[in-house]
Amino acid sequence: MKILAIETSCDETSAALLESSRGKIKIVSSIVSSQINIHKNFGGVVPEVAARCHSENILPVLQECLKKTKPKEVDLIAVTAGPGLITSLIVGVEAAKALSFAWKKPLMAVNHMYGHMAANFLEKVQFPAVCLIVSGGHTEIIFLKNYLQFVKVGQTVDDAAGEAFDKVAKLLNLGYPGGPIVSKMASAGNPRFSLPRPMLKEDNFNFSFSGLKTAVLYQAQKLDLKKEKNVVDMCASFEEAAVEVLTVKTIKAARKLKAKTVMMAGGVAANRKLREILKKETEKTGRKFLVPEFSLCTDNAAMIAIAASFLKKKSDWKKIQADPNWELK
Amino acid sequence: MILKSEKQTRAWARKFASGLKGGEVLCLVGDLGSGKTAFTKGLAQGLGVKQIITSPTFVLMKVYEGNLNLVHIDAYRLSSGEDLKAIGASDYFSDPNYVTVIEWADKVKDVWPKKRIMIWFEVKGKNQREIIIKQIGK
Repeated sequence: MKILAIETSCDETSAALLESSRGKIKIVSSIVSSQINIHKNFGGVVPEVAARCHSENILPVLQECLKKTKPKEVDLIAVTAGPGLITSLIVGVEAAKALSFAWKKPLMAVNHMYGHMAANFLEKVQFPAVCLIVSGGHTEIIFLKNYLQFVKVGQTVDDAAGEAFDKVAKLLNLGYPGGPIVSKMASAGNPRFSLPRPMLKEDNFNFSFSGLKTAVLYQAQKLDLKKEKNVVDMCASFEEAAVEVLTVKTIKAARKLKAKTVMMAGGVAANRKLREILKKETEKTGRKFLVPEFSLCTDNAAMIAIAASFLKKKSDWKKIQADPNWELK
Repeated sequence: MILKSEKQTRAWARKFASGLKGGEVLCLVGDLGSGKTAFTKGLAQGLGVKQIITSPTFVLMKVYEGNLNLVHIDAYRLSSGEDLKAIGASDYFSDPNYVTVIEWADKVKDVWPKKRIMIWFEVKGKNQREIIIKQIGK
């Protein structure tokens, strides 16, 4: 079976082709066209600009993805229908609907967050499992009974972890996106500033990053930010605090819910420090740790294709609509 | 009005919500950490929203179901209201089923409806916040 997937929920235009036979999954092609250099100038994704870029990129990306494949070989079209920016989602969704109509192929709406988790499903997962999903818009812990039954057990009560990285980068004048820059700076720094670990001791699996960001703001106001030492040390202190909270809460959930596997997904899962510490702490408890390779952590259509190979619900193109608020329950 | 803690801000916002009828646009103006988010969380509770209110900075707008529905907009990283129009935010502005909250509203003055409620937040001390409310237009 061949699945064509399309993903345009934020600022990456992406298409991928997956082939599955007898339970074996192979990504045949995966094309991602990023708009990051355009949005960099604005300090974040600009909806109107993103929509225009998606419209311009979607056909070349699809063409490149399907270079060696004929339309009639495709068995299913999958598309990210939410959550995300409505102006971005709609480009991918309408393109997928048009292909479904023209090729007379079934269509499937895939949840973007489920797609992030599914990037881990290339390996056989031992259930039950918990998955930490960390990105610019989300920070949540999902408990999975199996590939298809899952429930959200914890989440941020304010900012997402990735957003905290972006905001810290902004107040230290480091540019956008914040994750890679802060992480790079942090690797050269000494975590000498004392920052809070919000909600660490609370008896739930929720997070809070707003207070951590504000603590960085207040301490940074007292520092000479022209001195690189101060900046790298603040980045290191912030990253250490964020990684500690994410790790401790995820491990706590894994223990309490008797998970056999701990997984991680989303753009912030590309953070090296977080990968290293969460892996170490998970393995200490005798559990298996899974994290997708870097290219499958940030937004991409391959993860949507993998998700579609596990999901069952195909639909008629007339019934599928972009839903910017489609949250995992 | 002076509020002395985040808890007080939330409680006051809950009460404020009970006076809303739907179709209102609340423009929140104030620095980082001045209580805008605490206000929005309290307001959501008062409107009967059951979900946790999380930051809409990344997607710019989140919509929540309640007795009156809540539209939560964050204009933090915008420089004009054009993008709010693009994502359809202004469609909610006079809809009687929705109450709209715009954080960092001073960044998107061009989409302010004539009839709106301005709320200014100011940091007066470690936990103390001053809040000023003004109803604009009739």
